[in-house]
Amino acid sequence: MPSEHETEVIRIDHLKKSFDSAEILKDINLTISANEVVSIIGSSGSGKSTLLRCINLLEEPSGGDIFYKGQSILAPGFDERRYRGKVGMVFQQFNLFNNLTVLENCVIAQMQVLHRSRQEAEAKSLKVLEQIGLKDYAKAHPQQISGGQKQRVAIARALSMDPEVMLFDEPTSALDPEMVDEVLSSMRLLADSGMTMAVVTHEMAFARDVSSRVCFMDQGRILENGTPETVFNHPQHERTREFLSRYLKSVQAK
Amino acid sequence: MKQLNPKRKKRSLAWLVCSALALLLLIWGSPLLSQTTAVAAEASSSQTVTGTSSGLTETEGILRVGMEVNYAPFNWSQTDDANGAVPVANSEGEYANGYDVQIAKKIADKLGLELEIVKTEWDGLPPAVMSGKIDAIIAGMSPTAERKEKMDFTDSYYTSDLVVVTLKSSPYAAATTLEALSGARITAQLNTFHYTVIDQIPGVVKETAMDTFPSMISAVLAGKIDGYVSEKPGAMAAVSSNPELVWTKFAEGAGFETSSEDTSIAVGLAKGSQLVEPINQILSQIPEEERQSLMQEMVDLNVGKETQSFWQEVGSLIQEYALMFLRGAGNTMLIAIVSTCLGFLLGLLVAVIRTIPIKRKKHKVGFVLHKLLCFLLSVYVEVFRGTPMMVQAMLIYYGSKLFFSIDMSSMSAAFLIVSINTGAYLAEVVRGGINSIDPGQTEAATALGMSHWGTMVRVVLPQAIKNILPAVGNEFVVNIKDTSVLNVISVTELYFISKSVAGSTYQIFQSYFITSVIYFVLTFTVTRILLLIERNMNGRTFVLQSTSVPQPVQVPKA
Ligand SMILES: Nc1ncnc2c1ncn2[C@@H]1O[C@H](COP(=O)(O)OP(=O)(O)OP(=O)(O)O)[C@@H](O)[C@H]1O
Ligand SMILES: [Mg+2]
Repeated sequence: MPSEHETEVIRIDHLKKSFDSAEILKDINLTISANEVVSIIGSSGSGKSTLLRCINLLEEPSGGDIFYKGQSILAPGFDERRYRGKVGMVFQQFNLFNNLTVLENCVIAQMQVLHRSRQEAEAKSLKVLEQIGLKDYAKAHPQQISGGQKQRVAIARALSMDPEVMLFDEPTSALDPEMVDEVLSSMRLLADSGMTMAVVTHEMAFARDVSSRVCFMDQGRILENGTPETVFNHPQHERTREFLSRYLKSVQAK
Repeated sequence: MKQLNPKRKKRSLAWLVCSALALLLLIWGSPLLSQTTAVAAEASSSQTVTGTSSGLTETEGILRVGMEVNYAPFNWSQTDDANGAVPVANSEGEYANGYDVQIAKKIADKLGLELEIVKTEWDGLPPAVMSGKIDAIIAGMSPTAERKEKMDFTDSYYTSDLVVVTLKSSPYAAATTLEALSGARITAQLNTFHYTVIDQIPGVVKETAMDTFPSMISAVLAGKIDGYVSEKPGAMAAVSSNPELVWTKFAEGAGFETSSEDTSIAVGLAKGSQLVEPINQILSQIPEEERQSLMQEMVDLNVGKETQSFWQEVGSLIQEYALMFLRGAGNTMLIAIVSTCLGFLLGLLVAVIRTIPIKRKKHKVGFVLHKLLCFLLSVYVEVFRGTPMMVQAMLIYYGSKLFFSIDMSSMSAAFLIVSINTGAYLAEVVRGGINSIDPGQTEAATALGMSHWGTMVRVVLPQAIKNILPAVGNEFVVNIKDTSVLNVISVTELYFISKSVAGSTYQIFQSYFITSVIYFVLTFTVTRILLLIERNMNGRTFVLQSTSVPQPVQVPKA
């Protein structure tokens, strides 16, 4: 399928990752194409976070390869910092820079990595903050805003870099229930705008309704990889069924 | 009074430590260091050669003479050039006078050289002359066998016998024989032969040795001991400044038995110095009577003023030495401020370098180099935290001259030593501060493509520094007090000044009383100011309120 190959953004090829003696990722193969929203689900400890962290090189893969637009990101001489600028990451714990204002959180990497002028970077940040509904908080410090707002600032911070792909690692798991929706809506908006996304989540409704593809991970392997309809309604593996049955009620309730 | 008296035979302990550490350094023996040894050997041999060929002294036309300027009547410090005093080269506004100074003047005169007095701690004298920092020691020093191994000495320029200083009211005041001192509690200066001769007194109660004459005088005045052993000039000086004291006049042959090695004093020179002959020539032209009358003159010059109350004495000390105390306090603060700042920067740098993450797989060479650098940095941190700053001062100040021929001024040595010492302490503090910042922020920065350096400067360090500011302030206060150990390399900081005021006036308690008040005022003020700054900084968190009124959250419509 040559057309699909052209739009391929990330391709993971026989990826392995071990910590000391424990093999956490065993032979992961996954392709993320442009405009796709891939949800990654699976039980705790199955290696979902490790996979995302390998994709933007926060962890060093122990084997296999990862390609960004056909180019190996593990090759010697690959410009890691530029690449990371192209791959936005949103963490469970927000990880905002506590000493900087909301605006400055968004500005700093644009200036350091993309070498934008302050003016340019501020204009860009304000635009993104406005889209996400936080323009009024530009001068606030992270200690002064709610968890949901923090996570949206974290999203704005990543978006200010004009990324090609966005990675989300359980973006709503650390939030109080009443704040989950504001973050999910922002992500939904982003997906609708055509952003390529990989989302590790326990929000089954989001996975089912928003993603174009769902992967189920179990013990370091991808067991299922298909449309939400296939994975949720016709899973191939017993483990997937077990996992889903625990979430079924909540999904149906929505 | 016919005798001269040797000064204490104190073994240069600090010099021993210094050599031992230097040895250790050499044994660590990287190839680099063995090269250093070769260079050093070459340097020291060429030093001797230049000494012979181009002039008698290290610097053409100048005779640098080292002394404590704190050992009346041999050498003491005063604040003007009255009675033929000579300015002290390394302490502005201070003048040296005394028997040694007058002899030094005669020698320099006859040699046709300009005399420069270099105020140097007793323990620092031998290394200073050996490394060429000074040309000669004229400091009431006896040419003991031990010293002769490391240095050359001229003929004696004074000889003196030993007496016991006691209270006028003491039953021992009239003693003319050693037997008459039986039962007395007697002490003498630590590490000197004065202390060993105490055993010659039958039935004596030998008290623990003390460090300085001023402290022994205080002990006698306080009645803690009955007397102490002193050479006659020192005893005369003590009696002059303290009318309650007398010294025992032993009958001919009834006093202490001493060897002339112990009771004569001579000029100390570097081994192989070309100055030995010319100086002997000059000394031979100063007859015994002239020496005795010169000593009498010097002792009389040093005679104390009329008795005053404690506060009057403190007052007149302040009046007379205010400038010196201020200069000392100024230097202490200058060293503490500059070195704390430099040390802080050094500590930041070390801590940041140590936290650089390098991927082993991707940058093999870089990874190894970084590991090596980190190892060297932890050696630095451990060594400087694990050795006393006093020893480091001796090692760096004299070592740099001895091995690398770098002639540091004692002030620049002070900045260097306190900075790298502070750097070692603060490197650990900064590391703790960096570790206290949630690693998630560093990860987020890395994920955005920011460099380690950029992350540190903009995100981690601002937060870490805020957390460790109290610890840095504390280090500053510690530095104000710890600069006092720099007196071993003759830095004219507050403690060094106090020591010479105490030694010159024999008003020990009064001098150190003033000093402690100054130290306290300095540290107390600094502590208050730091507290204010800290409070101000914590307050700022609240000042930085959002300028916009928080709006109800607008959820973007899906
Ligand atoms: N730096 C590390 N060193 C050692 N083990 C690690 C490290 N990071 C993760 N692991 C281990 O790898 C396994 C997978 O972790 P990972 O965080 O990828 O799982 P996850 O699927 O994201 O789980 P969760 O849903 O709880 O976030 C876990 O058993 C974890 O203990
Ligand atoms: Mg996880």
